[in-house]
Amino acid sequence: MEAVLTPAQRERRAQARAFAARTLRPAAADWDRQQRIPDDLLRELGRQGFFGATLPEAAGGGGWDAVSFGLLHEAIGREDSAVAGFLTIQAMVAAALNKWGSPAQKERWLPGLARGETLASFALTEPGAGSDLPGLRTALAPDGAGGFRLRGEKKWISGAQHSHLFLVFAQSDGGPAACLVPRGAPGFRIEPIRELMGFRAAGLGRLSFEDVPVAAADLVGRPGFGFSHVAPVGLHWGRLSTACSAAGLLRGCAEESGAHAARRDIGGHPAADLGMVQTLIARQAADAEAAQWLCWSACAAEDRRDPEAYLRAFVAKYFASRAAVRAAADAVQVHGAAGVHESAPVSRYYRAAKIMEIIEGTTQVHESVIARAFVRRESASAAG
Amino acid sequence: MTTLEPTDIKAAVRRFIGSAINLDGVSDDANLFAAGIVNSLFAVQLTTFVESTYGIEIGPDDLDLENFKSIAATAAFVARKAGARPA
Repeated sequence: MEAVLTPAQRERRAQARAFAARTLRPAAADWDRQQRIPDDLLRELGRQGFFGATLPEAAGGGGWDAVSFGLLHEAIGREDSAVAGFLTIQAMVAAALNKWGSPAQKERWLPGLARGETLASFALTEPGAGSDLPGLRTALAPDGAGGFRLRGEKKWISGAQHSHLFLVFAQSDGGPAACLVPRGAPGFRIEPIRELMGFRAAGLGRLSFEDVPVAAADLVGRPGFGFSHVAPVGLHWGRLSTACSAAGLLRGCAEESGAHAARRDIGGHPAADLGMVQTLIARQAADAEAAQWLCWSACAAEDRRDPEAYLRAFVAKYFASRAAVRAAADAVQVHGAAGVHESAPVSRYYRAAKIMEIIEGTTQVHESVIARAFVRRESASAAG
Repeated sequence: MTTLEPTDIKAAVRRFIGSAINLDGVSDDANLFAAGIVNSLFAVQLTTFVESTYGIEIGPDDLDLENFKSIAATAAFVARKAGARPA
């Protein structure tokens, strides 16, 4: 990996890892127990420039490349998946807005998003539909005065407890649409969702919209393109982020397992000398390495503006999230009884890893997309 | 080398779509979305392809199905956007 990174990318990775080890590692278990990330920490992420890393400098962002973005999310994910989740959703909304927002929307919202002064959530999933986009029921109807009324419910929305701005997807007469709804809009209610298995500090919420007024100027992109163009851009950056965060979790599993196995004495020998323990650690280390490369490949494709980046992000997220589940289980196994106590980071990893197989598209959705893409490609290749 | 001749753009768009999707029997004027030939993943891939190949930026005002409904429509849109000669 070192050989393919530029000096600037290595420097950003070193700074991100140092920040994560210094700031997140000592506190992650407490935040998980309290089911909340402190507002001070979110402000600090903004001061560090992490929320707007890839936004253009003209919009107040850092102008980072996607590989640097991936390295940042990997470093944060190594220590705390919930904190990485805040970076994920901010990146999703910011990317969608930067691509499909009007000049006025960009001018109004991007600088605050870049600084983290405006926190944002990507409101797609509903109580009855998530990956099944056509099944979404939230509706955006004309109000007869040039604007719209939003009605419906969203559920499992990351960051909702903290967010100031929501990118909401809804059905409209013109087809699937996307719109911006600020916290506090009339008829808009946010209910916290607590007691999650993992990502407990990610501030999830349930949203309800009861005829919430939406100005025409708050539509993002044109009606009809919400699912085909606006959502995919956000979800693409969400997949890159989640893949990299899962790769960080994988690295964490391997490192924690290695350190424990070196310390733990069994019959006068380190546990690491046992073949059965070596098997568990080797699987984690190899998967961590593979995930790092798949993430780099997807991010580098994004930096080249290669259309292949979308599919590579699917592949990276699919592999890294599934491998994270396996690695977290193996890491707990290496730790034995110590691994099932909340004092061990691997117990938190174990609970968080499964969530990664569900967010930004389930494993099964990824399998369907990846398989269909490869079959279509082979069919095209045979025809050509 | 990338050229801005409309016929070359059409051929390049067809090649790009054809690299991922079997276009046997699909004419340049066939509606790719209505026929279910193109899904949302490919829609954004196509956007990225024309942006990076022809140095254009597709923005919210360009989101019109007429611009992307077929190979011919996409090529005509790119030609207009990139300032190429009309076909």
